Amino acid sequence: MSSSDAKDDIVRVDFAFKRELAQKIEGNLANFCYQCGACVGDCPATRYSSAFNPREIMLKVLYGLEAELLGPDSVLWQCTNCYGCHERCPQEVKPVEVIISLKNMLADRGLAPPAADRVIQTFMGNGRTVPDNPAIDKQRAKFGLPPLRPVPMDEILALLGPEDEEGSGS
Amino acid sequence: MTRYAFFPGCLIPARHPAMEFAIRSTLPKLGIEIVDLDGASCCPDPIYFKSKDKLSWLTVAARNLTLAEDLGLDIFTNCSGCTATLSETYHLLQDEELRDRVNHRLARIGRKYRGTSRVRHIATLVRDEVGYDAVRESVKRPLDGLRVAIHYGCHLLKPSRIMQVDNPDDPQVLERLIEALGATPVRHGNWYLCCGKACDGDEIPNQMMHDLLTTVHQEKADVLGMICPTCFGQFDHGQMKIAKLFDEDFHTPPIYYFQLLAFAQGVPYERLGFDRQRFKPIALQRYEEVATK
Repeated sequence: MSSSDAKDDIVRVDFAFKRELAQKIEGNLANFCYQCGACVGDCPATRYSSAFNPREIMLKVLYGLEAELLGPDSVLWQCTNCYGCHERCPQEVKPVEVIISLKNMLADRGLAPPAADRVIQTFMGNGRTVPDNPAIDKQRAKFGLPPLRPVPMDEILALLGPEDEEGSGS
Repeated sequence: MTRYAFFPGCLIPARHPAMEFAIRSTLPKLGIEIVDLDGASCCPDPIYFKSKDKLSWLTVAARNLTLAEDLGLDIFTNCSGCTATLSETYHLLQDEELRDRVNHRLARIGRKYRGTSRVRHIATLVRDEVGYDAVRESVKRPLDGLRVAIHYGCHLLKPSRIMQVDNPDDPQVLERLIEALGATPVRHGNWYLCCGKACDGDEIPNQMMHDLLTTVHQEKADVLGMICPTCFGQFDHGQMKIAKLFDEDFHTPPIYYFQLLAFAQGVPYERLGFDRQRFKPIALQRYEEVATK
């Protein structure tokens, strides 16, 4: 950046974004990131994609650069979920969990990729992530295995409704 | 016999029943009684389900754990993904506030998570409760000379603070389990690499799989041993895709460890479902010929 237009490059921390992230389970952990980069060397997505860098993602979280994180086709979906960064982080930031919290925010905004929607849709139908198919039980029978056990979907669906407000008296 | 609740997940019972057959065939021979869980759902999936709504993910996982708690048993898993979900749930729900939030939801169906059932991956169950020596003693036809490359996958080992399985930088459990069959474990150059299945899109996983298959192939192993059905899919069906895409022939058949164990314990090759694999571990057949002579 040139010094003359440095004024335009001032980054204002977006606290609303950071508060929303902190509401997610383990979303607030990025606050402990001191940008050492231990997560980067072990990251297979970084090795194979120039766009993905967990240290940069944590930095953007610290600044609250929502627009760079939570758009359509977000780079966050390139995470391989290998948990290497969780293993390496000396601050126990668990970058992969911060990324998952950000993905929860993407899902809240209707920006999850089709693969995620397919998994959820299948699960809502039969409680599994593999669609029902009569061939499955036939295959199982060949190995002397009983049919797949049914999943009590009434229980599952009851659990998935929105969280009722604590202490709302309802 | 020591009793453990069996959490089968989705992929193995629905897509790879041969793996479930092998588990049910081998564990009783090692002194483990399998207790089936009624009403278990998907773990749920630690990638997309968790990405969509982590609290719902925790709640459904906690419900699965309560099924084993009701029986007063520890739970064992046969899939690294299920292990990741259930172990992390067990770990996170040690936090009282989060446990209360999850139990608030579980109360809708009259359930309560207590945290009384431990989660064990089947490989560690065998290592810790059976022991390598007992595995060796159960072997009817030692697989002397069989070179088994190893793919650990990510979720068995990491995060080690939560999984508590092995040292992720120098794991031993699969090496020792393979040695117990008389076979020779082989660590290939990219042994640490992720299989890429949980990464959205094609480009990154394709490159990763190409590099993995390249170093596996360099070892000239007879088979590639693993303990995760997701990795297995990448190395079987996925191997075919990568071979075409890069116009290279890797040809290392993947095998789920418990099918290898079942074979070593004397289950005939043709009963183990290998005919359904794209790359068949035909190297095993030479041990069958020796045994029938």
